[in-house]
Amino acid sequence: MKRTHLWATGLALVLAFALTGHSLPAQEQAPAVPGQEDLHGDGCTVIIVGKGASTDGSVMTTHTCDCGICDWTFRHVPPADHKPGSTRKIYHISQYKTWPPSEGLKWDLIKKDFAGIDIPEVPHTYGYHHGSFGYMNDKQVAIGESTIGCQRKMQNPTPSAKLDLTMLTLLGMERGGTAREAIQVMGSLAEKYGYGFHDDGEMLAVADPNEVWIFEICPVGPLWTPESGKPGAVWAAQRVPDDHVSVCPNESRIGEIDLANKDLFMASPNVVSLAVEMGFYDPNSGKPFSFKRAYSPVEGSAVSTDGGIQRLWRFFDLVAPSQKLKPETPNMDLPFSIKPDKKLSVQDVMAMTRDRSYGTPWDPLKGIRGGPFKNPNYFNRRAPRVIDDGRAEYTTVTQSRAGLPDPVGGLVWIAFGSQDTACYMPFYAGATELPKSFAVGDHWTFSRDSARWAFDYTDFHVQVVYSEAIKDVQAAQAKYEAEMIARIPEIDAQAVALYKKKPAEGARFLTGFSLNNAQTVVNAWWKLGDDLLVKYNRLYLYDVEKRNYNRSQPAVPDWWKKAVRAFDILMEPDKK
Amino acid sequence: MTKKIIFGLAAAAALAVILIAAGQTVPKMGLPILTTSAGQSTDVTTLNIVLDEAAIMYDYCDVPTAEMVADGVGLGGRESGPGFHVESTTDQAKFPAGTPYKAVLFAIGASMKGMGASGLTLDSEESRLKKLIDYCKANKISVVAVHIGGESKRGPAGSDNERMIDAVAPLADYIVVTKDSNKDGRFTKIAGAKKIPLTEVEYALGLVDIVKQVFQ
Repeated sequence: MKRTHLWATGLALVLAFALTGHSLPAQEQAPAVPGQEDLHGDGCTVIIVGKGASTDGSVMTTHTCDCGICDWTFRHVPPADHKPGSTRKIYHISQYKTWPPSEGLKWDLIKKDFAGIDIPEVPHTYGYHHGSFGYMNDKQVAIGESTIGCQRKMQNPTPSAKLDLTMLTLLGMERGGTAREAIQVMGSLAEKYGYGFHDDGEMLAVADPNEVWIFEICPVGPLWTPESGKPGAVWAAQRVPDDHVSVCPNESRIGEIDLANKDLFMASPNVVSLAVEMGFYDPNSGKPFSFKRAYSPVEGSAVSTDGGIQRLWRFFDLVAPSQKLKPETPNMDLPFSIKPDKKLSVQDVMAMTRDRSYGTPWDPLKGIRGGPFKNPNYFNRRAPRVIDDGRAEYTTVTQSRAGLPDPVGGLVWIAFGSQDTACYMPFYAGATELPKSFAVGDHWTFSRDSARWAFDYTDFHVQVVYSEAIKDVQAAQAKYEAEMIARIPEIDAQAVALYKKKPAEGARFLTGFSLNNAQTVVNAWWKLGDDLLVKYNRLYLYDVEKRNYNRSQPAVPDWWKKAVRAFDILMEPDKK
Repeated sequence: MTKKIIFGLAAAAALAVILIAAGQTVPKMGLPILTTSAGQSTDVTTLNIVLDEAAIMYDYCDVPTAEMVADGVGLGGRESGPGFHVESTTDQAKFPAGTPYKAVLFAIGASMKGMGASGLTLDSEESRLKKLIDYCKANKISVVAVHIGGESKRGPAGSDNERMIDAVAPLADYIVVTKDSNKDGRFTKIAGAKKIPLTEVEYALGLVDIVKQVFQ
């Protein structure tokens, strides 16, 4: 066979795979049940920025809530004072469970899943904003989440474990006035009442205006009972150095721990003994104890998994290219955190949540994978696994900012849907409401009352001619997101002035600002979806102002035409 | 006498009192055994850990068919692959490969995640379970239904979990559940109607003594 024929055959084979929706040999079996493949433990990415690593001194966390079929609703829980003797009901809250909108709202319906215990309430609970997890309370304590998994025999799906992760984060929001307090609250409650049930190994970034910690927690096996007197969870927390950044892409990040250094580490009392008891660590091995190696080991590297676990390397390479970290390095040997080459702004962090690993060996547009309109979702959205893989329910970016009153300093930016086509909307910690449109909707019922659908609506219309339509979206992002970021100092100043005079007025101002901006953005994205439908209708380019259309635009590139010809050659019967 | 022995005797005595008071009969069953899931939740992992703790060796397969069970211990030498997990800890010196199973233990619990990973739907899982249990019945292999997921994993009538319960529990030779799983008396009703021995335990830990009594 001639080289040109070989080339054509190879190209055509790749094309054939692309056209028929098949993946190249990959890491995972294609699940037979549509949609359910989204529930594997490769869900979320957390980016963490210390106060000395950000351009404005803010401490940042992110959570890309990657699922595809989960709940996306948000609500605000007001602060409250509680009488002595009050109790707090505990519910089993699944990250994945949803209910049809006709049955009601998730955060009302979870009350049907009472875990069977009421725990003593604290005198005062902080107000907070939450979605699938708690994100920002009125003391600027912020959280981002990523599932890390754990050794199989540690899982405790039995009812002896009263606390799931979602419930823990709500309690952390209610009771944590600082990141350290929130960690101690979550850790100690999990030890006492048992952790697991719906969840297993989990990581949380827990931040306040001064510092950010990585907190990791695992169950202790299904045979645990509260009467055993042993902790019902095992956990550790490590502080990210102030001038560093870190990331958690569904992999445990805490390695060796030095509990004598209380400024950097915290842990449950069983952190080493459980590993010894369960056979995950041999103290006579001569090796130091490592949390991740004992409880949640991940084998391989970006290269060895063909990009399956490339997010860790990718993030570090993005923020610190001077370090020249190698994608061949096993992930467990990559650093816990890293000093970025330059300080990161909130806009930089938002951009990283949109990262698709372009220009790397795992570029989703490599070759003809993106199709004629270079759509990164076109070929195989799961392998390699990039940070923005298009299935986020929403993404949060939190900022905890020292030097401002807590209601003003705390910000959670929320973007619905795939990050590349979404728009981050700010909500101050002092806002006492979230939009009604953020509290409703699910994946199976289209609703113009649900804010999330506005973003899916736009996203859907981008897919058809991605390379062109994404430019329209980016223009809208520049208008509604970048300009809003630039306006934040002005809003801060106004809010601070009002808080000094009358805190209630400050709260009303921040609530009004947050709600009004969100409504503006949601309306803009509904219109953007409409506009994209009209502009690229029938794969032509319609000019609304001139009332004409161009049938040769968007142009199909020559390389795509060549690929089609190559495919034709492959499919032709042999000519002898 | 060490503290451990005293504790063990006390626990056994307490268990005996509880069982007698509840009128629960613990049947005796033979080895070798196979564990599997009805609904692909992680509850089967709990069941396997219970057996490990009780030092009872077993074979495990997440989605065995009747044909696989017919291959007996070692499940015909099959190996794990994507969407299929098999593990054999059975002592093959005592029970060589191919020895027919005496009992199959089903950990009931529906998980969309688990079924998705195994390429199953609720309908296909129900169908698989029916064929498997029919085979067990025809070949005098005892069926043990275990539900340890608790009340909030039960769900309302018609839910995924309830369908798994209906597929296994009424056909079981023995039902073991945590009290939390049987708060509404669902398993008690099934056991009463079908005259199936039923045991309730407080926690999964309580199953350790139960499986020792059943299989030792």
